[in-house]
Amino acid sequence: MKISIKKETLLKPLTYVVGVVEKRQTLPILGNVFIKSVSNHLTIIGTDLETEITTFLNKVESEDGEITVGARKLFDIVRSMPDGAIINLDAKRENKVIVSSGRTRFTLQTLPAKDFPRLEVNDWDSEFKVSRSDLSGLLGATQFAMAQQDVRYFLNGLLFEAEPGILRTVATDGHRLARSEIAVSGIETAEVQRIVPRKAVLEMQRFLSSEGGGDVNVQINANHISVSTDQLIFQSKLIDGRFPDYNSVIPSNLSKHVEVKCSEFINVLVRAAILSNEKFKGVSLLLEPGLLKVSSNNPEQEQANDEMVVDYTGESVEVGFNVNYILDALRNLETDMVVLGLQDSNTSCTIKSPNIETTLYLIMPMRL
Amino acid sequence: MSHDRKIIHVDMDAFFASVEQRDNPKLKGHPVIVGGQPDSRGVVAACSYEARQFGIHSAMPSSRAYRICPEAVFVKPRFEAYREASRKINNIFKIYTPLIEPLSLDEAYLDISRCTQHKGSATLIATSIKAEIKERLNLVASAGISYNKFLAKIASDMDKPDGLYVIRPEQAIDFIRALPIRKFYGVGKVTEAKMHKHNISTGADLARLSESELTTLFGKSGSYYYRITRGIDNRPVNADRKRKSIGKETTFTDDLLDAESINTHFYRLIDRVAEIMQKRKFVAKTVTIKVKYYDFTQITRSISSVNTISDSNDMLLLLPGLIEKTELGARPCRLLGVSVSNFVDETQEDQKQQVLFG
Repeated sequence: MKISIKKETLLKPLTYVVGVVEKRQTLPILGNVFIKSVSNHLTIIGTDLETEITTFLNKVESEDGEITVGARKLFDIVRSMPDGAIINLDAKRENKVIVSSGRTRFTLQTLPAKDFPRLEVNDWDSEFKVSRSDLSGLLGATQFAMAQQDVRYFLNGLLFEAEPGILRTVATDGHRLARSEIAVSGIETAEVQRIVPRKAVLEMQRFLSSEGGGDVNVQINANHISVSTDQLIFQSKLIDGRFPDYNSVIPSNLSKHVEVKCSEFINVLVRAAILSNEKFKGVSLLLEPGLLKVSSNNPEQEQANDEMVVDYTGESVEVGFNVNYILDALRNLETDMVVLGLQDSNTSCTIKSPNIETTLYLIMPMRL
Repeated sequence: MSHDRKIIHVDMDAFFASVEQRDNPKLKGHPVIVGGQPDSRGVVAACSYEARQFGIHSAMPSSRAYRICPEAVFVKPRFEAYREASRKINNIFKIYTPLIEPLSLDEAYLDISRCTQHKGSATLIATSIKAEIKERLNLVASAGISYNKFLAKIASDMDKPDGLYVIRPEQAIDFIRALPIRKFYGVGKVTEAKMHKHNISTGADLARLSESELTTLFGKSGSYYYRITRGIDNRPVNADRKRKSIGKETTFTDDLLDAESINTHFYRLIDRVAEIMQKRKFVAKTVTIKVKYYDFTQITRSISSVNTISDSNDMLLLLPGLIEKTELGARPCRLLGVSVSNFVDETQEDQKQQVLFG
């Protein structure tokens, strides 16, 4: 195999592919990327056996063949070449590939391409098209609430829920929950629920949020999800588990609602966070007629008190929260005003924007 | 700069081996090695001064110690006896100060700044601590005295065994400058090699570098070296230092490769760790496994849970994910270990996050 290609052209697919390749692997070949050239079409693949990214490049000056070579090394080499450089890959010798450009020359080890493991995906059950930026926004609105390394493995991922006309994602770590949805006209299937693993969500978001508009094609079956464009196919195994019934924990009858300016609320919370307990990050919210008071204190008994003037005439209520959970929600809403829904010190609060009902954040209180 | 503290570092001389020689007079004058048997894959936990003359040191494989010194007497460790001795030594410390920070069974820092006995003379206090240890336990200790922990620890090592060494504030700077970097706390083989590469071999060499140069080279430790080389170490003697982790490990007679026996050993270790946790009422957030492969390369893999870890079940749930991140099953291993850390502070238990799915 022989390839001659411009640095920038090769770097872009490598950037996506190298993301899924784990730093430590159980099998040496999992540290490699798969590169195949057929009639001037290039296919580059990276995998961790759970998630696989396949990228395509057309009209590449190349001779047919296939190799696998250290992903991180190739990426670092290509990245370090001068802009506009033409990079040559030559795999004439067995088990070796020479990567060269100008006077620069690297000889890298290769492993046989036939040993490169691929995800084996059966037929897809449902398929729809969705705007790339909508899908990226949907992931962005919810992914931060996913659990990390939770024993309840089904929380270490993002729930995708498709029903006719709607795609919804839900994430929760058991303390807070994020739910968002977008309209997708192409969805016709009956309701499906699938959990996409955390790492796959983050990698998917990496390529969705990079440049490029248009639609992506989403395909789902019982065990896999695929998101693809003309240049790239992203595939991942799903988490085999039941996501908790999140609807049952969304409070329907909160009695106390207050509208606050999002940026002002963020500033108040950031200040109060300074003196909250470093480990638990608790702040207290006291909602009174006309005022929302925010206070915190640390184990050294130092105190922070702040307040905002609000339009509220109902009963007073005081609830403690992990300040980071509120900040995460506010920062992801990106609206001028937010509505905070409260009940009592043992009931979760809701945070949403006043007009848009599609995104909802739910946070369980702390006992302070 | 606070030069007004008086810190003693007491370090028992060849502690485990001395306890053995004391309890079994036949061992006196002979090279004694406490630890694994020579035909096992265990290591030397401690050895007597007679054994040290052969070049034997702790952590050396017992088999190698045996080759160096076949006449050595190998004794199995009796930790209960060492703990008992350690408790008694601690009681002697308590006569002089409540500010005691034990580092292990055989080492402790004492802050005697407010001690009134012997008119507050650190040298006299150290002398009488040593004498009482000798009298009540028939064991020998070395003591180092200075105005901070760093220097006190170095001082206790100065004329071991049966040493008593004082580093006065006015001597400190000259003393540190002459000190080979290996003697600095926290400098092991790797850091030492790195320092040599940068032509640093003594305290004086270190002192020549600015704080920012040191942090560029050594990260967080950089500012520690910067202060230490200027004789500054304000760490207090921490009398209620809490245990930070609980761990157990085993070395195997034969390297392990098959998944089943690896799992069995992990289950056993987990049970032993859980037992201690329950006895001490510890609740952790992090589990770590340690694996030493046949070629002695060692790795650790940790996982932190949002939920608390309080029994074997909690650990067992996390185990598969940890094993997955190792080469167990593909590479033979000679040692497995399990530990828990990141303990939840019970005093703050009332500040508690409530959960969505109770």
